[in-house]
Amino acid sequence: MSSKENCRNELRTAIRQLSDRCLHPAAKWAAEQLVGIEQDPAKFTPANTRFQRGSSSIRRRFRTNEIASATPLTPLAGVSYVSTPVMEEDEAVDNDFYLLGKTYFDCREYRRAAHALRDQTAKKSVFLRNYALFLAGEKRKEEESIELTGLGNSEPTNCELITIERELSTLRKNGTIDPFGLYLYGLVLKEKGNQNLARMVLVESVNCYPWNWSAWSELQALCSTPEILNGLNLSNHWMKDFFLASAYQELKMHNESLVKYEYLQGTFSFSNYVQAQIAQVQYSLREFELVEVIFEELLRNDPYRVEDMDMYSNVLYAKECFSALSYLAHRVFMTDKYRPESCCIIANYYSLKGQHEKAVTYFRRALKLNKNYLTAWTLMGHEYVEMKNTPAAVDAYRRAVDINPRDYRAWYGLGQAYEVMGMPFYALHYFKKSVFLQANDARLWIAMAQCYETEQLQMLEEAIKCYKRAASCGDKEAIALQQLAKLHRELGRFEEAAFYYKKDLERMEAEEREAQNMVEALSFLAEHCREMKRYEEAEVYCARLMDYGGPEKETAKNILRGIRGDTSLPSMDVDHFRP
Amino acid sequence: MATAAAFGVTPHKVSVCVLLQMYAPPAQAEPLFSVSQHNHLGLYLLALTKSHGDFLEPKLADLLTQLKEISGSLGDWLIEHLTSRLSSLSSPDDLAALFSEFRGILGGTEPAVIEDNQVVLDPNSYLGMFVRRCILAFNLLSFEGVCHLLTNIGNYCKEALSSCLPYELHGLDDSVNDLESSSTYENMDLENIVFQKVTEEMEANKQPSQRNSFHLHTPKALSGLVQDIEILAGSISNRAGKSGETCSSLDTSASGARHADTSGDMFLRTTSQLQGFFMEQADAIEKDGCSFPLNGFEVILNRIKKLAPELHRVHFLHYLTCLYHDDYFGALENLRRFFDYSVGIGGFDITPVPSRSKGFERYETGLLCLGMLQFHFGHPKQALEVLTEAVRVSQQQSNDSCLAYTLATICTLSSEMGSSSTSGMLGTSYSPTATIGTSLYFKQQLFVLLREALKRAESLKLKRLVASNRLAMAKFDLMNVQRPLLSFGPKASMKLRTCPVTVCKELRSCLHLVSEYGSESPTMTIEGAFSTAWLNNLRRPMGASVLSLDNGVGEGSNAFQFCAQPSSIPRSVLQLVGSSYLVRATAWEIYGSASLARVNSLVFATCYLDASSSSDAALVHAKLIQHLATFQGYKDAFSALKVAEQKFLSISRPVILLLKLQLLHERALHRGNLKLALQLCNELGVLASPFNGVDNQLKIEASMRHARTLLAAKQYRQASEVAQSLFCLCYQFNLQVENASVLLLLAEIHKKSGNAVLGLPYALASLSFCQSFNLDLLEASAKVTLAELWLSLGTNHAKRALTLLHGAFPMVLGHGGLELRARARLIEAQCYLCEPNYSAVEDSEIVLDALKQASDEFQVLEYHEMAAEAFYLMAMVYNKLGRLEEREEASDSFKKHILALENPQEEEEEEDEPVSEMLVEKN
Repeated sequence: MSSKENCRNELRTAIRQLSDRCLHPAAKWAAEQLVGIEQDPAKFTPANTRFQRGSSSIRRRFRTNEIASATPLTPLAGVSYVSTPVMEEDEAVDNDFYLLGKTYFDCREYRRAAHALRDQTAKKSVFLRNYALFLAGEKRKEEESIELTGLGNSEPTNCELITIERELSTLRKNGTIDPFGLYLYGLVLKEKGNQNLARMVLVESVNCYPWNWSAWSELQALCSTPEILNGLNLSNHWMKDFFLASAYQELKMHNESLVKYEYLQGTFSFSNYVQAQIAQVQYSLREFELVEVIFEELLRNDPYRVEDMDMYSNVLYAKECFSALSYLAHRVFMTDKYRPESCCIIANYYSLKGQHEKAVTYFRRALKLNKNYLTAWTLMGHEYVEMKNTPAAVDAYRRAVDINPRDYRAWYGLGQAYEVMGMPFYALHYFKKSVFLQANDARLWIAMAQCYETEQLQMLEEAIKCYKRAASCGDKEAIALQQLAKLHRELGRFEEAAFYYKKDLERMEAEEREAQNMVEALSFLAEHCREMKRYEEAEVYCARLMDYGGPEKETAKNILRGIRGDTSLPSMDVDHFRP
Repeated sequence: MATAAAFGVTPHKVSVCVLLQMYAPPAQAEPLFSVSQHNHLGLYLLALTKSHGDFLEPKLADLLTQLKEISGSLGDWLIEHLTSRLSSLSSPDDLAALFSEFRGILGGTEPAVIEDNQVVLDPNSYLGMFVRRCILAFNLLSFEGVCHLLTNIGNYCKEALSSCLPYELHGLDDSVNDLESSSTYENMDLENIVFQKVTEEMEANKQPSQRNSFHLHTPKALSGLVQDIEILAGSISNRAGKSGETCSSLDTSASGARHADTSGDMFLRTTSQLQGFFMEQADAIEKDGCSFPLNGFEVILNRIKKLAPELHRVHFLHYLTCLYHDDYFGALENLRRFFDYSVGIGGFDITPVPSRSKGFERYETGLLCLGMLQFHFGHPKQALEVLTEAVRVSQQQSNDSCLAYTLATICTLSSEMGSSSTSGMLGTSYSPTATIGTSLYFKQQLFVLLREALKRAESLKLKRLVASNRLAMAKFDLMNVQRPLLSFGPKASMKLRTCPVTVCKELRSCLHLVSEYGSESPTMTIEGAFSTAWLNNLRRPMGASVLSLDNGVGEGSNAFQFCAQPSSIPRSVLQLVGSSYLVRATAWEIYGSASLARVNSLVFATCYLDASSSSDAALVHAKLIQHLATFQGYKDAFSALKVAEQKFLSISRPVILLLKLQLLHERALHRGNLKLALQLCNELGVLASPFNGVDNQLKIEASMRHARTLLAAKQYRQASEVAQSLFCLCYQFNLQVENASVLLLLAEIHKKSGNAVLGLPYALASLSFCQSFNLDLLEASAKVTLAELWLSLGTNHAKRALTLLHGAFPMVLGHGGLELRARARLIEAQCYLCEPNYSAVEDSEIVLDALKQASDEFQVLEYHEMAAEAFYLMAMVYNKLGRLEEREEASDSFKKHILALENPQEEEEEEDEPVSEMLVEKN
């Protein structure tokens, strides 16, 4: 219990320190985790735990690998955490100018804040001054990017970066920089494209002061490959688990990520953040049911949450829940309509309604709010495909891919768009890319196989290979088996065809689906068995075929008659000569 | 708003407008310039707005230096006026006032208003339009935009006035000059040689009409070459200095700071200028191939991408660089990115795209490019797949021109797959050649395809395509016997011949292209190129070049730049025409007219070298050097080779390397250094790709040389085995021209082995092959071999051999190389000597004459064995005649050659550069 208590104390101090430095997002995150820690029921009245009501119905319903909550915060492999001493503030009483600067900062008057703090030498003031300057530059940059649309073509940059960098690098050389300064320095370096040094500086920062989540997330954005991630020299603090979980998630190591998050849930069992992240991982694993449940609970606890809600809307979209989606859209719209997520949710709603023009309008709005909003680009591409505007779709997908080359959906979209335009060979390249990124997704393999199968290409061998992969990936719509059987039959390989038809049949039986496929499989198998002189088997299939009406019944009868003919001829002869 | 995006007001444009205001001052101001100064300034401004030497607008400092250069004493006044004008702008309203003043530069539409002596810009002139666009763009600006412009102008002036300016500029200038001078020096020798040869040749041929044009063109080739290099070097050094990104991660903080410092105030030029820049760079990439600097250019492209993300043409250039640097994945990615983004428009949708890119509008072009990419990287199967798709899509979209281009590409692809000379360098696992490209059926298909492509291109009036199709057709005609497509039935003609007339006709009609382009009005980009060249010229110290008249090069190139630049023929056309000359040279080589082959290569070398790609240039050098070797012996050839090697340092090494090996092998054979010869021909064989059906030409060459080496080593059985298998290979790939020479080689082997009767049928077969392909020179040498065979059958056949020989003499003496000529002479002498009614006393002169010539030529070739034989015969004849002194002399020579033949190593050591050293150096 003490470690939980430790966590709590560390976070409490950290929140104060972070807000002293106006690092609001990090402070917010820390506060969320603070209340996310499971309270000791003995100590607290129910009023204290009102955030935690509803407890966790999800865990009751879905959790299989329950981690005993009695052993919180013991590292997975038995590694002990480094205890990082809470940083001491260098001055007990805050300077007046610092107080003035901070109030300016809180009123978002950044330049004024920086000016008020101009001659201060205390570390806190120095950081706040630089941070204010940085934010002022960012604000100006945003404004310029709007002003400059249609004027010059150059991308605006933050013009304060150089001065900040100069000051911070000298501070770092003197050794008088604090972890917050390091964080800002890393941020500036990253903005300027100096990734290696930025990574180094950020690692330094989080090792000194691990409770700054902003620093962790900047660091995470700089880890684009598992190799880089493993190469980081991080000391073992419990915050590292949060970092690793989110980094794994970004690198599509979903299972590793899930393990980490579930482990974290042991301590932070009421953390909305952790829950939302688990939902995200489950979404990537395509466990839509679970995701929906998680989000329902999240919304119950935190009804004004907008973050991650776009994913929830995607789930609702996939499940075609019209009213739920519209309800969600309405809710986020009332909360904050100028958030890219809100626009995306509304666009999803329109898309589900089949009003693609409106959907595109809202996607465009989302993209105006955040030009690098990956999902919106991809989804807009889908809309354009629906609207039969393939070139625009290609453009949108391509932008998504250039923002994040690991987005398999956009690659897949590109492939589809080109296939629609009748360029299957050209499309293949894109399918290959998407399959490379998401090798165990049957849909992608099937799409690629269909591409190979087109009448222009007719590369059936390759198609068969793809279908095989799809079948081994657990193809939910059961296209692969059926196609495999069909292709083998077309290529005259009846043994293989029979094998796949049988498999398909078994599967259909297991899922209790009745379809035209069933008839097809049965009639082929009946015919095939007859030709192979396995008459008993053939008769079984024919008998099953007889259950269906129409022409199939007739064929079955014919086959049966044929079988009788084949088998009974010799016996008739015998009869004939029997005395 | 779209126009504003393409043509934003920038500090540089403002200063150009201020200069224009000075160029056309308001009415009351008295003119300050002399007329010539005025004109010069006007020309300068025009060039400034059109040139596309760089993608960024020049800084104020650069502008000021240029101003100083063009207008001498007046420059100071101009500079002062300009800077004071710009620095006086302190509030947004000043800017507004300035722009309303600019309106005064333009004249009204009424001509009557103009007073005397007043210079007024025609609003519809190029410069007038420029001013109008600036004013319009300014009027469209929001208040924020005006504020931005003001701060930018402030920075623009500040930078120029800061102290670092003179130092940096000097450094830059120096480096450019150094590079220029060194490159000039490098190119001088060979160009001079070529030039000299042309004049000699032309004077010998007495063709005054053509001679004139040669004189005009040659210096152009020279100056153009120098200038290109200079531009490249200049721009690279420019950029390397500015952006510091090249030294990527080492001192990143410092370079990063510099980068950010400069990036704030960088402005791209106008879209048309950028387009010109891109086209020029693309040309340069295609021309220089892999020697084009990759990293420097990548930095430039990245900066453009950052400055103007909507300019997708950048991706295309990226693709081109990757392509020529053998970066398959990079090329593939960038090509697809380009077509994904732009739908093929290339980001220039804002300005009206010139007619050239009319076919550049749809995805089928992407397919076409992808096909060419796959072809380039030696994946013919994929290329064919992609191109088929391109055909289908362009048919669906009824994009005829794309279809025509695709067909032409398929033709090239399939003809290349037949011979596979270029593909397979990467050693791909694909060798579909063995399955696709072997049969006669395939050739027929190709022929039909070629005709179809040609017809299509003609009906669509795609001039360039017609020309290149004709070229392909000529190549096909050259290499393949035309069989009637329906070769059954009684009426099918059985004529199995190639027709040189058709080849020449095709090639000639290819030339018409130039005249068609010559009559067209020059396009905008050409004008831009001229402006660029003019501005570059400005950068050179003008006074110095005029004063130092003895410095012939600098002066000459300067002078010629002016008369040579404004040619209206696009480089791609020139390249095409150039390659037609190359094909001609090859055709004549095959048909056996050495002088015509040489003339054609020389024409190419002198006129089209600057427009051609470096691999073509290397090829023509190889051809010329080979010619030198066969007609003037090895000494000259090797010295020329040295020059060529220096010129083509790392680029197109294969061609030059191949040539070197060939020459060395030939010489080793002649000298009798068989060990070395064997080693050399093995090295030659290693150059070829190990895959079946790829690099056939090279493989054939290698095994041919192998057989010859074995023959020289008197290992007849092995030699004939190699030759037999070679024949099978040629037969399999339907290489009939090669077949003829292999048959001749077989005949030779049988002759040497003393089995003349067996040799005869081979020689006759070769002869008939030669006749059907019009391979005159080879035919002559087959006749010589035949004569040798007859002669070795016995003395009673000497007469027949002699008649045969005399029949072949015109061809042999007119076009044959040293070796063939000498051999023919030797046999002639032998025939005379064998003839029963020959009397040494009466007819000695004929024999001695022939022998003398033969021995001279063999000596030049250092062909010891044959030279010894000639001297031996000579000594015998002299002996018969009783001319003892001459007999001694001949026998001495005989002895010398025999000794040299026995110790080939000694001779190598005498050489200033031993062969072993050359080989080491090569590796």
